[in-house]
Amino acid sequence: MPARGPEDNGNRERCATGIEGIDHILNGGIPRGNTVLVAGSVGTGKTSICIEFLIHGALNAENSLYMSVTEPSAKLLRNLIPFDFFDDRLVKQGKLAFVDLPGIYERLGIDEKAEFSFDEIKRLVDAISDLVDKHNVKRFVLDSVTSVSYRLEDRELIREFLLRLGMVLSAKNCTSLLVSEFTASEVGYSRLGVAEAITDGVIVTGNLERRGDLLRTLQVVKMRGTSHSRAKYVLDLTTSGILLVPLLKGGSIPGGG
Amino acid sequence: MTVTREIADKLSALPEASAVSLRLGTDQYFDAIQGMLDVFASKNNLEVFYITSTIPSQSIINALEVLEIPLDRIWFVDCISQIMMSAAKRHTHSIVVESPTMLENLMLKIEFLMRKHPERKALVVLDSINSLAIHNNTKILSEFLHIFVNNLRSHGAYTVIFSMQEYETDEIRNMLVIVCDETLELGHDLKALAE
Repeated sequence: MPARGPEDNGNRERCATGIEGIDHILNGGIPRGNTVLVAGSVGTGKTSICIEFLIHGALNAENSLYMSVTEPSAKLLRNLIPFDFFDDRLVKQGKLAFVDLPGIYERLGIDEKAEFSFDEIKRLVDAISDLVDKHNVKRFVLDSVTSVSYRLEDRELIREFLLRLGMVLSAKNCTSLLVSEFTASEVGYSRLGVAEAITDGVIVTGNLERRGDLLRTLQVVKMRGTSHSRAKYVLDLTTSGILLVPLLKGGSIPGGG
Repeated sequence: MTVTREIADKLSALPEASAVSLRLGTDQYFDAIQGMLDVFASKNNLEVFYITSTIPSQSIINALEVLEIPLDRIWFVDCISQIMMSAAKRHTHSIVVESPTMLENLMLKIEFLMRKHPERKALVVLDSINSLAIHNNTKILSEFLHIFVNNLRSHGAYTVIFSMQEYETDEIRNMLVIVCDETLELGHDLKALAE
């Protein structure tokens, strides 16, 4: 486990993700109440990480909520990795909930195709806040913040949305993951590079090509409230959960491995 | 003493969580497998996780069936079949890694198997360091062995790394000396008797 450093902030309670490798990297888990950006390109395991995080929360009596922006939850559930530890009673008992954001847009009378105004952002965050209160949610995932950001053309509006959302969730001691999609050619980890500056943590997933092999990787770039490893790891999505091992360095130098 | 008996006895004499480099000749290959998988693993009630980068897992499975060795507790991580584009149908006890250059994935698959079968202690067989050396340079292979063997040790697993004497180089020997607790050589007694 990485040595604890001065920035560890002593006694901050941890929200163990239940993903052994990530908890090891973070010295026990995400500092509770943190808002963390999970950023990466397609097919790198972002959604699987988020779902496993929520399932472990629900299994440990922490109500967990997944909010889908683009893909209907029913479709997501059909394509989910059949984790050995998943128990569909968690959903029936309301410990693990799936909500589609377009339904909230409709209820609030927000046109999801148009750009959002400042007032609509406020109402959207209030609606999420009400849901978190209503279900006593302790773990929250928004998949994806990128899709919401496309309705926020102004950098200031993205900033406003994320600041409000982060403050509301943190005040409720709710640990949250915001999924961000970006392509390898983009600079930064989110749309217009706003989210990574505002969120408490950034976990980056990626595809690393090494001599024709494509490896899924994970790296914690930033996490407020704890010391952590900043090394790159290789991950595997399995029915036993997400597994991580260190990326072998011999292969990452030109001509190596 | 037969090779089968010899290897079983030598492994039994080692403490738990030992990492062993097994130097053997190609003519001793299947006897060594039988000694480990049938005699040693059965006697010690071990789950066997067998990484093959030398020949496809199906060939080893066929040989085990001929030798009437039950497969119940033997699981394969096969990193050679895919690259050889061999038969698409896979045995239920075999997991494929795309290429022997994906060393991290070998570790991940063993970790996966350990999670799937946590009831018993494990014997992890790496067959062989020589074939992995064909596909990987010494630097990354040493790094892999160092991390892999220490990780297995922390799980209390036995590790046996095959090294075929005919294909050994000084680099491979040095690599194995660094990570392994013991080097076992087979057939010295038999060879001496023959001479």
